[in-house]
Parts: sequence; structure tokens; C-alpha cells
Amino acid sequence: MPILRARARPTGAAEKGGALTLASRRARNNGSQSGRRLCVAFLTVTSVPALGQASALDPAGAEASSIATLFWAMVVGGALLWLFVVSLMLYGIRRRRRVHDEWTAGRLIFWAGAVFPVVTLFLLLGYALWLMPQLRPWAPAQAAATLRIEVEGRQFWWRAVYHRPGDQPVVTANEIRLPVGERVEFTLTSSDVIHSFWIPPLGGKMDMIPGRTNRLSILATKPGTFRGPCAEFCGASHALMAFSAISMEPEAFRSWLAAEAGPARPQPSDGARLFVENGCGACHTIRGTAASGEVGPDLTHVGSRLMIGAGTLPNTEEAIARFIAEPDVVKPGSTMPPFRMLPETEIRAMAAYLKALQ
Amino acid sequence: MSAYAAFKAWLARSSARPAVTIRWRHVVGFFVVLPILAVLGAWSGLYNVAASTGHWKITDWFLHFAMRSSVRTYALGVAEPATLPDAGVQPAAGHFAIACAVCHGAPGEPRTQAMLRMLPYPPDLASVVDTWTDAQLFRIVKHGVRFTGMPAWPAQDRDDEVWDMVAFLRRLPSLGPGEYRELAYGPGQSKEFMVSIEDRIADCSRCHGKDGLGRSALVPVIAGQSEAYLLESLRAYVRRTRPGGIMSVAANGLSDEVVGSLARHYAGLPGLSRVPRSGSGEVARINMEEGERIAVQGDSSRSIPACLGCHGQDRRPQYPRLFGQRADYIEEQLRLFRERKRTGTPFSHLMWNAAHRLTDADIAAVAAYLASEGGAK
Repeated sequence: MPILRARARPTGAAEKGGALTLASRRARNNGSQSGRRLCVAFLTVTSVPALGQASALDPAGAEASSIATLFWAMVVGGALLWLFVVSLMLYGIRRRRRVHDEWTAGRLIFWAGAVFPVVTLFLLLGYALWLMPQLRPWAPAQAAATLRIEVEGRQFWWRAVYHRPGDQPVVTANEIRLPVGERVEFTLTSSDVIHSFWIPPLGGKMDMIPGRTNRLSILATKPGTFRGPCAEFCGASHALMAFSAISMEPEAFRSWLAAEAGPARPQPSDGARLFVENGCGACHTIRGTAASGEVGPDLTHVGSRLMIGAGTLPNTEEAIARFIAEPDVVKPGSTMPPFRMLPETEIRAMAAYLKALQ
Repeated sequence: MSAYAAFKAWLARSSARPAVTIRWRHVVGFFVVLPILAVLGAWSGLYNVAASTGHWKITDWFLHFAMRSSVRTYALGVAEPATLPDAGVQPAAGHFAIACAVCHGAPGEPRTQAMLRMLPYPPDLASVVDTWTDAQLFRIVKHGVRFTGMPAWPAQDRDDEVWDMVAFLRRLPSLGPGEYRELAYGPGQSKEFMVSIEDRIADCSRCHGKDGLGRSALVPVIAGQSEAYLLESLRAYVRRTRPGGIMSVAANGLSDEVVGSLARHYAGLPGLSRVPRSGSGEVARINMEEGERIAVQGDSSRSIPACLGCHGQDRRPQYPRLFGQRADYIEEQLRLFRERKRTGTPFSHLMWNAAHRLTDADIAAVAAYLASEGGAK
């Protein structure tokens, strides 16, 4: 199949979730064929790439669960207030009206109009403020973290550097793995425009601001694969800027990190030669080869990542070839220039080489 | 008072008033002031005489209308011969090849881009000859057309030659490139074959020098440049996909064969290299100067890739060699790349992103480094 014609978009996890049930129920109610088609079209357009679960209401981390709890507390509190206010209104417009004496009216206004909202809002605000130290790591949280992951937002991808105590930093991109049950500190920066770091089921979001380092602490409590979207509009391909976050058992995580720290072990191949000859190494690093550029994502172990193009395409040879040929179509506004002028055999050879970098 | 009554009153008043009287002094004054205004208007320079923007559609129509009408009227006095001189076709073709084809083009011979930028644009004669009578063609060929680039016939007393040319023009629409070549240059000849590759190289040497090192700071060194790069760049000029007023005219109509020989010739001369004189560019050194740092390492925080990532050793032959290139030339090209105005080989757009974030200072530093580290000079 020619590279430039393969246009299959990855299907989304969201299609299988609650949204589908809702949509199909709506379609049933509507009954018309066109309505159903519209719903399907809507779902196709809004579906997210299959990077993993992306709901903040299904938490898998300590921070996200506090946020989820806060959310439910706010929802319940808000619902009670609403019921109370609506009841008061119904009472006020009831058919047989009775005039209150001044004393009763004054008491009603004082208790229901002043004391009740002040107390409720104070409780909700107090709860939210009480949660904040856990979400924003202050000094104690930093000291407790053994692993620090530096994430730099760039148009439109993520550079991740793992800082292990007393060891060389490990550079990778567009995929963040973290151990379950261990607190991880994130230092967040940006080198171009404002991005925002968010792994809804684990924690965040936190802006990434050029010239500033923001901190975020995350404690994953369950293993899983999650989608981390950029949560601040950052340019043409903002919607195509995401990463996979994978929480793993600590043992598995440590062996993964050790493997990630090592250089690539490519077999000598046409693809390896062409990658350097065509100048890809001016922007991309593949440790252990002549490619040492730092303008684009590190590709040392790109073959083992879940997705390519920062959560844009599934990690297959076909998709890698397509990305090489037309990044301007796959990711409008991306810094990588298109290489569609290369012979297709060269593009395929490089795609095979990259996919083999496990 | 109603509006209608007011209108009627106004009408009565104004019809009672005497009409504007034009006296002789008004007329004289008008004709004195008019030329002064015209001169002032011309002196202000606001009227745009640029050829680049073209005429308004209506001006264009009017000028053509005036030209065609004038030719039609003046051709009434031309006495046509009974038959056009058949034997005149060949010498007229020979003359056409050196005097007319440069502006009007000829079958199989494209005009240079410079001629296509004339205003008015010289028409492709094969498509317009049929819109004129023989007498009208005679009139145009003999007397030329004022305010266009069309000259009069060099010898005004040789009407016989003008009729030869009219005879040739009548044949022109039916001529293919082969027939035209045979008429204009002789059997088996063509403009290309009349010029040897040595003559071509002498043509290039006017600016690039016999040694290919360039005779000015703004002319690139092409000696020792990668053959594939030279080939594709020249081809881009021939196909007019790379902008360049000087080179597109110089390379006009070159055949693939000639382009190949020229690229081979200059690639074989000693000049540019892929490695710096002072050692390998692949090794990062401490305290290197800014230009060298950008060329060797790039600047990842500003998304500037290293020049040598593509222009270093063992890279694709379409990527040009830079060590020993002239600094002024590199600077100009980088600025053009930064503005996305520079095209050329199918790979040239890679430089748009690479140069996008370079500052003028970066460009000067990189150019100085690449120029000073010439390999074989």
C-alpha cells in the first residue's frame, strides 16, 4: 500500500465507553436515520487516539483521586444547594400566600441568605485549600520523591528526562512511565509557547511556561495506560500533542528504565545508513549512532513506544513511513519538514529501521 | 411650507438666475493652467511607469485597440506583391533566429524569463500571425511599434527583405521545431549544437571564473561542489522553479545533456569540501566559537539543527558542500531560506525550517566559520 494513501485514523477508546451508550440512546429516541449518522460522525470526529484511558473521574493516582473526591463533593454540595434554592423558590411562588411577620422574614434572610451560603462555601473552599499541598509539591514532597522527571513541552511533542539519584539522566520522548506506589516529581518547562501537562487519571494539570519551571507531584496507585493531552492551546497541532503515561509495578519500571538508559543496538542496515545520510540526525538523537540532534524527539528506543508523532499515529512501520513522508499533513505546523521527495524505498527502509529500535 | 413647494420655489429662483457664462478669459486660462498641471503631475512622479505591475485591463485594451487601428489604417497604403517570395523564407528564418526569437521565441526555443517580463509582452507569433493581413504584417515589420520593444526594420530601403520576413511569418504557425531548426540553422543543426561545451563553460566563466571559484564575493564557489547538487540546481533554473533573474536567463533552454556536462565539469574542479580544514566537524569541542557551535552542534533550545547534520561527511549528494563557500553568498542564501524565498533541488525546503530561527548574527557567524574552514583552497 503506498505510504501517502494510508489515511486510517486510530480508533478511540472513548467510542467504547459511556459516550457510545448515550449517543445510541439519543439516536434511538430520535429514531431518524440522519440523526444516527450525525451521532456516528460526531463520535468519529471527537474520538481520541487509543493512547489509553483519559478520564479524570476514574482515578489511578493519589492526586487524581483527591481531585475526583473534590469534584464529587462539589457536585453533591452543588446539587443540595440547587435543591434548597429551588424549594425556596417553589415555596415563594406557592398559590396560597401568607404574609410573614417582620421577625420571621428577618430570621429567614439571616439564616438562609447569609449564614447558610457562608458556611457551605467556607466548607467547600476549606476542603479544596486543604487538598492543595498534596497537589502542589512543597519541600517535604520533593524530599520524598526519589525520581524526578523533567518534561519539556515543545510544539508539538514532549521531551522527557528521567533524573535518577546518583545516575546519568535518561532522555526519551512522548511517553512517560512511572512506578506504582512511588511518588514522582515532575519539573515542567517549555521552550516555545505555553503548554499544559495533564494526565487526567493520575494528576495535573499544570502549565508549562517558557522561562519558568513548574513542579507537580504524582503518586500512581494502580498500573495502567493513560492518555496525557496538552491542556493549553499551543498552535495548529495542539490537539495532536499528547503522550502515553504508563504506570508500572516498580520492578518492571526499573528494568524498563535501565533498558531505556542504554544505547540503541541497531543492526547495520540500509535504513540506519539512510537515516544519517539524509540528515535526520541533525534533529533526532539515536544514542549509539552518529545521529545526535536535539531539535526533535529522541528516537533511541522509538520502536518500543505505544504511539508515534506524540500520540498521533499507532506505532507501526506503515505509520512511521507516513510520518516521514508527510508530517505537514499528519501534524500541521510541526517543525519537521516533509520528506516525500525521497524514493519510497528509502522511506520504507528508514521506517523499518526505526521500528526495530526497541 | 411643504417640501414640494420648497422645491418649486428653488426651481423658480435657479431658472431666474443667469446660466454660467464662459468667457474667453476662462478658455485661455484653462489652456494655460492645463499644461502646468500636467507637468506638475509628471514631476510629482506619482504615475507608476513600472513594468512589473502591468497595465490595467482597460489601459491594455485601449493600447491594443489603438495599435491595431493604426496598423490597419496605415496598411491601406501598402502595395502587396502578387505572391510572397518563397525563396525569401530561408534567409528570413536565419535572421529571425538571431534577431526576433530572443523576444518572440521560436518553435522549440523558449524565451528567457527576462523577455517574458517585458511590457507589453512580446506575443508568441505563431498564434497571432493569422490575425493580420500580409500588408499589415509588412507595416509592422518595416516600421515597428512605438512604445513597445518592437524595432523598425534596420534597412528602411529594403522592402524586398521585409516581404521575405512576411513570407517566413506566414509559414511560422505550421513549423515544428525540427523544420524550424533546419530552416534557420541548416540540416542536422540546432542552436545547441552550434555551441560547444567549451563555449558554454566560457559563458559560465563570465561570473563563475574559469576555476569555478567565482569572480565576486556574491558569486558562489561551484568548483568541487557535489555533482548531484549542481545538476539539480541548474535544472531548477532551467525549469524556472528556482528564482534567479541572472541564472534563469543564463541557463535558459539548456538541454539535460548540457546541464549534465556542466555539473560534471565544475564538480571535478578543486574547491569545496565536506570537512573543515582544521579537522573533523563531527567532534564537539569546548569553547568553540558561535559559528562553529551552530554548524557542528546546532542550538536545540532554539530548534536550530546542526548544519553538518546534513552538509557533513557521507551525507546525501543533493546536500551541497559548504566548507570553503563564500561567506557573503552563504549569508544571502540563508536569509532567502529564512524568508522561504529560496528553492532549488527537491530538498531545498528542508532549509526553510532549519533557517527559520536563525538571527542575522547567527547567519554571519555560521557563514564566517564555513568560509574560513575551506578544505582544499
